[in-house]
Amino acid sequence: MQTQLAQLVATATQEAAAVSTRAEMEAYKARIVGPNGSLTAVMKSMATLSKEERPVVGKLINEAKKAVEEILAALQQKIENSEIGAALGAAVDPTLTSPDAAAGSLHPLTRTRERILTTFRKLGFTVAEGPEIETEWHCFDALNTPPDHPARDMQDTLYMPKSFRSADAPRRGEEALVLRTHTSSVQVRTMLTRKPPFRIVAPGRCFRRDAVDATHSANFHQVEGLWIDKNVTLADLRGVLDFFVKETFGADAEIRLRPSFFPFTEPSFEMDLRSPNLGRLSNRWLEIMGCGLVDPKVLELCEIDSKEYSGLAFGLGLERIAMLIHGIDDIRHFYNNDLRFLRQFA
Amino acid sequence: MKVSFQALSRHVELSGVTPERLAEVLPMLGLEVESIQTFGLAPMPLVVVGEILSFEKHPKADRLSVCQVDVGDGKPRQIVCGAKNFKANDRVPVALPGTVMPGGFEIKVSKLREVDSMGMMCSSEELGLGKGEDGLLILTPQKPALGTPLNKLYGAPDAVLEISVTPNRGDCLGLRGVAREVAAALGLELKPLKIKTAADLAAAPSAKDAFKFVRSTSEFCPYYTLRTLRNVKVGPSPDWMRRDLEAAGLRPINNVVDITNWVLIELGQPLHAFDAKKVREGIEVRAAKVGETLTLLDGKKINLEVGSCIVADAERALVLAGVMGGVESGVTAETTDILLEAAWFRPGEVRRVARRAGVSTDSSHRFARDVDPAGVELASRLATDLFIELAGAQEVGPAVVVGKPPRADVTIELPAGFISAKLGAVIDDKQVEAIFTRLGFKVSSSAKGFSVVVPSYRSDVTRPIDLVEEFIRLHGSEKIPASRPVAPLPGDSDTRSSTFTHEAALRLAGAGFTECCHYTLRDASEIERTLGASGVTQLALENPLTAEQSHIRASLIPGLASALALNVSVHANPRGLFEIGVVFRPQADGSVREFLSVALLTSAEPVVRSWKSREAFDALRAQRFVSDLTSLAGIASSRLSFTAAESGLWQEGHASLLADRGRSVEGGCGILDLRWTRQLGIKGSVVAAEVFFPRAAFGEALRTPRFEAFSSFPPATRDVAVIVPSGVVASEVHSRVQQAAAKAAGKDFALEAIHCFDVFSGPGMAEGTKSLAFEIRWRHESRTLTDEEANRAMGVVIATLEKGAGWTIRK
Repeated sequence: MQTQLAQLVATATQEAAAVSTRAEMEAYKARIVGPNGSLTAVMKSMATLSKEERPVVGKLINEAKKAVEEILAALQQKIENSEIGAALGAAVDPTLTSPDAAAGSLHPLTRTRERILTTFRKLGFTVAEGPEIETEWHCFDALNTPPDHPARDMQDTLYMPKSFRSADAPRRGEEALVLRTHTSSVQVRTMLTRKPPFRIVAPGRCFRRDAVDATHSANFHQVEGLWIDKNVTLADLRGVLDFFVKETFGADAEIRLRPSFFPFTEPSFEMDLRSPNLGRLSNRWLEIMGCGLVDPKVLELCEIDSKEYSGLAFGLGLERIAMLIHGIDDIRHFYNNDLRFLRQFA
Repeated sequence: MKVSFQALSRHVELSGVTPERLAEVLPMLGLEVESIQTFGLAPMPLVVVGEILSFEKHPKADRLSVCQVDVGDGKPRQIVCGAKNFKANDRVPVALPGTVMPGGFEIKVSKLREVDSMGMMCSSEELGLGKGEDGLLILTPQKPALGTPLNKLYGAPDAVLEISVTPNRGDCLGLRGVAREVAAALGLELKPLKIKTAADLAAAPSAKDAFKFVRSTSEFCPYYTLRTLRNVKVGPSPDWMRRDLEAAGLRPINNVVDITNWVLIELGQPLHAFDAKKVREGIEVRAAKVGETLTLLDGKKINLEVGSCIVADAERALVLAGVMGGVESGVTAETTDILLEAAWFRPGEVRRVARRAGVSTDSSHRFARDVDPAGVELASRLATDLFIELAGAQEVGPAVVVGKPPRADVTIELPAGFISAKLGAVIDDKQVEAIFTRLGFKVSSSAKGFSVVVPSYRSDVTRPIDLVEEFIRLHGSEKIPASRPVAPLPGDSDTRSSTFTHEAALRLAGAGFTECCHYTLRDASEIERTLGASGVTQLALENPLTAEQSHIRASLIPGLASALALNVSVHANPRGLFEIGVVFRPQADGSVREFLSVALLTSAEPVVRSWKSREAFDALRAQRFVSDLTSLAGIASSRLSFTAAESGLWQEGHASLLADRGRSVEGGCGILDLRWTRQLGIKGSVVAAEVFFPRAAFGEALRTPRFEAFSSFPPATRDVAVIVPSGVVASEVHSRVQQAAAKAAGKDFALEAIHCFDVFSGPGMAEGTKSLAFEIRWRHESRTLTDEEANRAMGVVIATLEKGAGWTIRK
C-alpha cells in the first residue's frame, strides 16, 4: 500500500509538469481525485482493511492526499498566471510616456476672470450678465452720456445697421444698436429690474473700434461691479478695492485713487496699483481700473431714487489684470490661440 | 494739452516748484501727466561754438567729410562729419568728448572708418531743439565767439508737460485753467491778468466799423462778439510768441494767426480773425441752407448740412461755426483790416458738426467742452492788446455784442453733513470752507449748510455731489478711510448661465480640451460658410474698421478650426480645443438672437505619431459631449432630437444637427466638412460639436433633485430585433419599441429602460433592410417578475411592432 501510494504521488508529480491548460488540468485532476481517480480508488479500498490497519493506512493516504493537493494548487497558480499573461499581453515599460493627450486647460482670461469673481463673491457680489449687442440707450444715455456729450469721443463705437433687430436688446425708441463698449450696460439692466440693495459684478466681452496692436484689441473683456444700497460711501469703495487688490496682488500691493472723470460716476477715480511683485512693472503706479460713486443722474435714469439710495461702481479690464498677473507683454497672445502660449496656464 | 512750465509761471508763481513736482501734483487733481519733455536746449556745458576751418572727403567713405574745427582752445581738432550743408568758415555747435546728448548718448574720442574724430558737430534735432533744416545747425549769421557754450546763445530750457484733460474739464484746455488748479493745490496766488483794452461793449456797429451788421439767428450761438482792427501789418511774430506756440505744439504762421492761437492756449477761448475786406456787409450766425458749400482752410470742400450752425456774411457761408474757417475770408499776407470774432457756441452742436465734417481742431475741441462764457470778452480784449502791440493795429471802437452769456456763476446749496455722508468720514466745516475758497468758490454758511458760488469757468460743478468731488480732489483721496467688508446678502446668486459657463469649461478642460478665445468680429467668407449668403447680410456691422472684422460671429467652430490649423503648422501638437462665448444667429422672425455657445473640436486621430495607437475620436463621442453639456445646462438629453446635417460646416452623412424646440437650444456635432478642413491644412478628419444656448434656456433655477424609491427586486430582460426598411431612422424604431414595451407592461409592472445593442445590415438580410436589436428591461416594484409575465409582455411587443408597415421581427 505504501509503495502504491508513493508510486501514485511520483506519477502525479511527473505528469503535472506536462499540464499547461485549464482543460488539461481538469483532466489531470479527474485522473487522480475524480470519481474514478487513482487516489479515489485507494481511498475506496480502505473499506476492505482491518480495524488495526486503518489508522496506519489512513495516515499514509492523508499524506499522499496532501501532496496531491499541493501539486494541484501549484498547477492552479501556474495556469492562472499563464491565463492572465495571455489576457494582458507583455509587461509594460513604466518609463514610456502615455499615448493619451495631456489634460486640457482653461484660457488665462477664464482663470483670471474666475479669480476676480471669487474675490468679489467673498464680498457678497454676485455675477450678472447682459447682451453683447446693446441699445445706445443702455450703453450711453442711461449712463449719463447723451449723444452730444464729449465723453462719447472717448471711445470709438461699432454700430449695427438700422435694419438689425436684436432679440435680446429691443430698442426703446429709434436709437442705434451698438456692440457694447463696456459692461456698464449690465449695471443699467440690473438697476432697472432689481430692487436695491444689491451687489453685482458683470464680467463680459466689450468692443471698441480700435486697430489691433500690443495693447489694443478689437474686443476685450471687462469686469464691472455695482453696489447699490442706502448710504454707500467712498469709504466703502476704498474698502472693496483694497480687498480686491490685496487678494489679487498680495498683501504688499497698495492702491491710490486718482481723481478722474466718467459720465456715470461722481466723484470718479482711476485706481492705480503699486506692487513690488510685478517684474519690470514693479514699484510704479499702474492704472488698473476706473471707479467712483454712481452719479445720481444715472440712478434716476435707471429708476432708482437717488435721495434714498447711493451706490459705488468700478470696472477693470480682464486682459490688463491677466497681463499683470502673468507677466504677458502683448494683448494679442490672448486671441492667437497658440498652444505654446495656452499650455503655460495649464 | 501741452503745458509749458515757463508759460504757466506767468499765471502762478512757481519759484521753488519743479516740473517734476508739478507732474506729481497734477495727476492727483485729475490732470494726468503723460510726459515731461525738455523744450529748448538742455544744459550741456561741453557743447560749444566751433568754426569749420577746412574739410576734405573721407578717404574710405564717400558720404563722410573729415573736418578741421577750431573751438577756440588754440589747436584745431579733427572731426568726422556726415552732414553736407556747411561750407568752410561756418560756425556750428560742437559737442566735445564727454558730452551726453539728449538721447543719453555720450560723445567720445573715436575713430570713424579708421579716421580719428574728436567730437561731434550737431544738428538742431540732435541737440533736442526740434527738427530744423537738414544737416548741421549753422550759427554763422549770429556770429557767436568761438568756444562760447551753446547754452549762452539759448535761453534756459523749459519743461513741457503733456497733460490729458478729461472731457469735463474744458477749463483746463487753457494755461489759465491749469494755473488755477496748481494755485489751489499748492496754496499759491493766481497772478492777475493784465489787459489794457477796455471792457466797453456796443450793441450795434458804428460807422467806423468794417461791418454793417452782426447778428445771430442760430439757437446754437446765444452770444457773439465782433470787433474791427484796422491797419494790421501781417508779418512774423516775435520770438517769445513763437517759442510759446512751439512749446504748445503749434506751428507759428504769422502774427495774426499766432495771436489768436496764443490767446487760445492762454485762456482756452478760441477766436477767429476774418479779412474784413472779404466779408460782404456783415456777419450772421445762422443755420446752413440747402445746397450751401464751404471750402475750409485745409482745402477740403464740404457740403453743409442743412440746419448746422455756420458763420456767414450777407451772401455766403464763411466759417463752420466754432470748428474751422473758410479759405475765402481768411487772413493773408495782404490783409490790412481784421474782424475779430469771440463767441460762445453750444458744445453739442460744435461736436456734432466737427464729427460730421470729419475735422477736429483746437477750436472745436474746446467749444465742444463748454468754454467759459465770461472768458469770451476777456479773450477778445487780450487779443486786441496784442494786435495793437505786435501788429500795429488800431482798434476801432468797442466790440459789438449780440446776445448774452448763456450761463453765469452757479450757486449750489450744500446740505450740512453731505460731504461727510458721501465720504464715510466726518469732515470739519472749516476744512470744507478752506478748500472751496482755495478753488476760487465763494462760500457762505446758510441755514441748512453752505451756499457755494461756483464761477462760470467750472461748468462741470453744478450739484452737491460735484462739490464732493471737488473737496476730495483737494483734500486728498488718500484720506478716504477703508470700510470693512460687509456680509453678503442672503438669497442672491450668480446668473445660471455664468455658473454653467464655468462648469462647462472645467468639464471640457478635464476631458483633455484646451480652451481658446477668438475675436467676435470675423470676415464675410466665414459667415457665408457658417450661415450662407443671407447670414452675411444679417450679421454685418454698420461701420467695420477692417474687412477682416466686418461681421459678428455665428459659430465658434471656424475660429477653433483655424486654431487647430495654426497649431498644426507651428508643430504645437494640438488635439482637443474648446471655446465658450456668445454667437449671433438669425431667427425666423428676422431678428438676431444671442446664444451662449459651447464648442469643441478635435482631430479624429492624433496629429503626431505615438508608440501606441488609440481609438479615433468619432462623431458619436462628439454627440456624447453634446448630451452631457445640455444636461449640465439643466436640459434632459431626452428632449434633444438629432437630424442628419446636410451642409455648411458639416460633412454630409457624418454629422447631425440637434434641437430642443421648446427651449430653442440648437447645435451640431460630427465630422467637419473635409474639403474645408483640408484647405485649412489639417490632414485627417476633424470632429466637432457645438451647442447654442439662448439666454432663456437658463431662465429657471436648477430643480433640486427629490429622492424616488426604487425596487429591490431583479428585472426581467428580453431582446427584440426589428427588421425595418433602411430609410427608417433609429430614433423612430427606438420610440416604437419603447412605446410597445411600456404598453406591454400594462399597469402591473413598469418598463425601466430599453437600449439598442446591435445594428446590422448585409449578408442574410433582404436588400434595403436593416436590423436593430434592443434589450428591454421590465421591473416590478414589489416582487420578482415571472418568466410567464415577461414572455407574455414580449408577445405583446412583437405583435405591436409587426403592425408597422414593412417591419418584421427577426426570429
